Amino acid sequence: MSPEPKIHLDRVGKTYPGTKIPAVEDLTLDVHEGEILVLVGPSGCGKSTTLRLINRMIEPSNGRILLDGEDVTKVNPDKLRRRIGYVIQQIGLFPHQTIAQNIATVPKMLGWEKERITEQVESLLTTVGLDPDQYRDRFPKELSGGQAQRVGVARALGADPDIMLMDEPFGAIDPITRDRLQNEFLRLQEELHKTIVFVTHDIDEAIKMGDRIAILGDRSTIRQIDTPERILAYPVDDFVDDFIGTGSTIKGLNFLKVSSLKQTDYPSISDADPCATGVAKLDEAGLEWLVLVDAQRRPLRWLHRDELAKSPASYDDLGEDVGDLLNSDDSLFHALELMVQSAAGQSVVVDKHGAFAGVVEMSHLNKAIRRAQYEARLHYEEMEANA
Amino acid sequence: MTGVFSSSLGWVRNRTPVSTTPPEGFSPDPRRRNAAELIDRWGLWIAPVLIAGLAGLLALYHRSLDLESAVMQQRSALSWSGKLWPQTLQHLEIAAYSTLLVIVIAIPLGVLLTRPAFRRVAPTLMTVANSGQAFPAYGLLVGGLFLLGNGTATVVYCLALFALLPVLRNTMVGLDGVDRSVIEAGRGMGMTRRLVLTRIELPLAVPVILAGVRTAMVLNIGMATLAFLIGGGALGITISSGLKLNQDPVLIVGAVMVAIVALTFDWLGAMAERYLRPRGL
Amino acid sequence: MRGLSDPRKARVEALGNWFTYVQDNLEFILEELVNHLQIVAISVGVATVVAVLLGAWAQSRPIVRALALSITGIFLTIPSLALFALFIPLFGIGNRPAIVALVLYGLLPILRNTVTGLDSVSPAVVESARGMGMSPRQQLLKVRLPLAFPVVMAGIRVSTLLIVGLTAIAVLVGGDGLGSFIQDGLTRNGFPNAGNAVVVGVVFTVALGLVLDAVLATVQRVFTPRGLLV
Repeated sequence: MSPEPKIHLDRVGKTYPGTKIPAVEDLTLDVHEGEILVLVGPSGCGKSTTLRLINRMIEPSNGRILLDGEDVTKVNPDKLRRRIGYVIQQIGLFPHQTIAQNIATVPKMLGWEKERITEQVESLLTTVGLDPDQYRDRFPKELSGGQAQRVGVARALGADPDIMLMDEPFGAIDPITRDRLQNEFLRLQEELHKTIVFVTHDIDEAIKMGDRIAILGDRSTIRQIDTPERILAYPVDDFVDDFIGTGSTIKGLNFLKVSSLKQTDYPSISDADPCATGVAKLDEAGLEWLVLVDAQRRPLRWLHRDELAKSPASYDDLGEDVGDLLNSDDSLFHALELMVQSAAGQSVVVDKHGAFAGVVEMSHLNKAIRRAQYEARLHYEEMEANA
Repeated sequence: MTGVFSSSLGWVRNRTPVSTTPPEGFSPDPRRRNAAELIDRWGLWIAPVLIAGLAGLLALYHRSLDLESAVMQQRSALSWSGKLWPQTLQHLEIAAYSTLLVIVIAIPLGVLLTRPAFRRVAPTLMTVANSGQAFPAYGLLVGGLFLLGNGTATVVYCLALFALLPVLRNTMVGLDGVDRSVIEAGRGMGMTRRLVLTRIELPLAVPVILAGVRTAMVLNIGMATLAFLIGGGALGITISSGLKLNQDPVLIVGAVMVAIVALTFDWLGAMAERYLRPRGL
Repeated sequence: MRGLSDPRKARVEALGNWFTYVQDNLEFILEELVNHLQIVAISVGVATVVAVLLGAWAQSRPIVRALALSITGIFLTIPSLALFALFIPLFGIGNRPAIVALVLYGLLPILRNTVTGLDSVSPAVVESARGMGMSPRQQLLKVRLPLAFPVVMAGIRVSTLLIVGLTAIAVLVGGDGLGSFIQDGLTRNGFPNAGNAVVVGVVFTVALGLVLDAVLATVQRVFTPRGLLV
């Protein structure tokens, strides 16, 4: 598909001296330009080792590493690393240097001019959401965990590398801050389009962060590598299935949009219509609930057939709240959340003007998931047939 | 760092877990706690006052001695310009040279022994070095006399050998104590081993190395007192004269002079430890 | 070949020579060894009693603690010969000024370790001892000191090695001990067996230090509460 992978590992392996079993065995892996590839797997599977093979923090015992098609297996490792951003869980800020000095580390080694470095530090601090005037001259011990990790990311971006390697970067941070940092980082990535290899042991983080996920087994063998939605829809074997855990199908709803459903007509009446119209519509559709809309067709409440049958004088005090409304680019996961809270067991969709557009019900989700699973299976069967 | 004069002799100090402030919630009385913090904060400034007081007392004592009518030998031994001051300078000279020698040898050696190539021999070497901890300084000096002849140079060499261990140990401990993730981050950004050593490891080890140097310095000042035994001069001569002549005043003046010199330089060492450490630590 | 073997032969000869010297003087050596050991034992013993009591008392009193650590620190800073000499006007020459000075030297390592050892006892353990109705004295004797014992012992070992080495200087203020062989060698510089005497002084001092350290290490291991052993 893409002309040339940004990073290509060609049967890379690592066997530590004095051991027989390799830590990483003949790993072949492509990382495409601008994507986040997440390496995920149980602890001890060698995912960190794999990451560290890419910038040769660990020297591979065999195989080749290619960046932009250039074999870097034998180049000077220090010069190689200056081209690659590297973020680790412990961050490892230099405690005796100010934040600015920390971020300037690689630019300085590359011999940038002073002014350019100062500018770069300012812009990176701003990028990661820290006010340069306030933080430039602080020391690492004066930062909170979240701030320190931001500086860690800024430092890794120091000389604007194309490639970033991140080893559980948010692993040691409290859940709330972690969530915020993840979102910020994804937003940042939309602007920066770095090629990122990201290691985590947390499948949820992998699903959230990854454009593609590689699920690794023992000796860093790839058990499945694909987009998160396809992995969730079609885990290739029990190992992957166990690893992604229960609820994976529901997690898969995160990747399906309301817009992917075919909207069918659903009975509604405006508050000007008489009750009889509503009852007729329900009879025709064979349903229990209909949606009451206002003059602009904005959904107001759910109305039940029994209430309409009493022919009330006004709709004002009748029915159940419709709850939050779905837009076409909301995920089906969100639709499910609303659905289980709704009196009618359905969630209401509106178009971009806020007008009633239809509903999502359980059978829709069911179909959508089954379709996703079918497509994923088809994809794998095709791949197998081609292979 | 505790105390009025944070004490020295680090090969004693460094082997013991150092936690000088009581753990949280220990003192029930906040006033006492505050007082202890004050001692901690101002201790470094109380020390010179006390040393100056000691020096003042010594000067008064020296003046009160009726040297005019004293025996010739005592008069000569206690002459400030003729004996005490030149001896003090000589004392400091010996201590300074041997401390410099220690720094020049022990720090590079410590760096070398913490590099991967030598890591394996380091523990063995340290065990051997540690086993000689009861080595008497006196014996070392006399041994030096036999091997190298008498004089100041021999004293300097022997002292340097004796004080090597604290600096060597602290250099190694300091370098080993640098957070691995900081080194990992540096290597990961493409710093060469040399850069990691000079920009990260050594600066971060400075406080520990300085503590070792201070220890070595105080040891050297102490041992320089024995230099007289092999013709190296220094303030030990006055003490020894006092002993030989059975003259308590000479003995006291000599001993107090030595104590003042040692305490002063220990205090300077404490100042260096506090103010030479890299900011941010 | 001859060039290589000659120094080796000389070395072997010197070693043999030394052993002969040791054999001839074994009686004196043993006598001074016992004297040395006596000085060390008294000094370490007194220093231990004083430092542990002081440490137990000062540990939870920040001011006393800071002062005690500082003052014992000053003793260690004052050069040994000077401290020995300062006690001569009070005690005359001989072993006594040396022992007093050695006790002062031995205080800091033991005091510091007592204090840090007691610090390291988990507050939860002390709290539960108090909760069971132990008096402060019982808490100290039955809970806190036993738990701090290994650390205190480590301090005693440091002090012992320090004092074994320093006792060699006692001879300069008229005391006994293995230092007298070093002094003997110094005064007979140039005469036969001067070197042998110095080596006897040094070797037996270092050996005494190693043996005492090994003994104390065993004591430390045997008497450490079993639950604390790793």
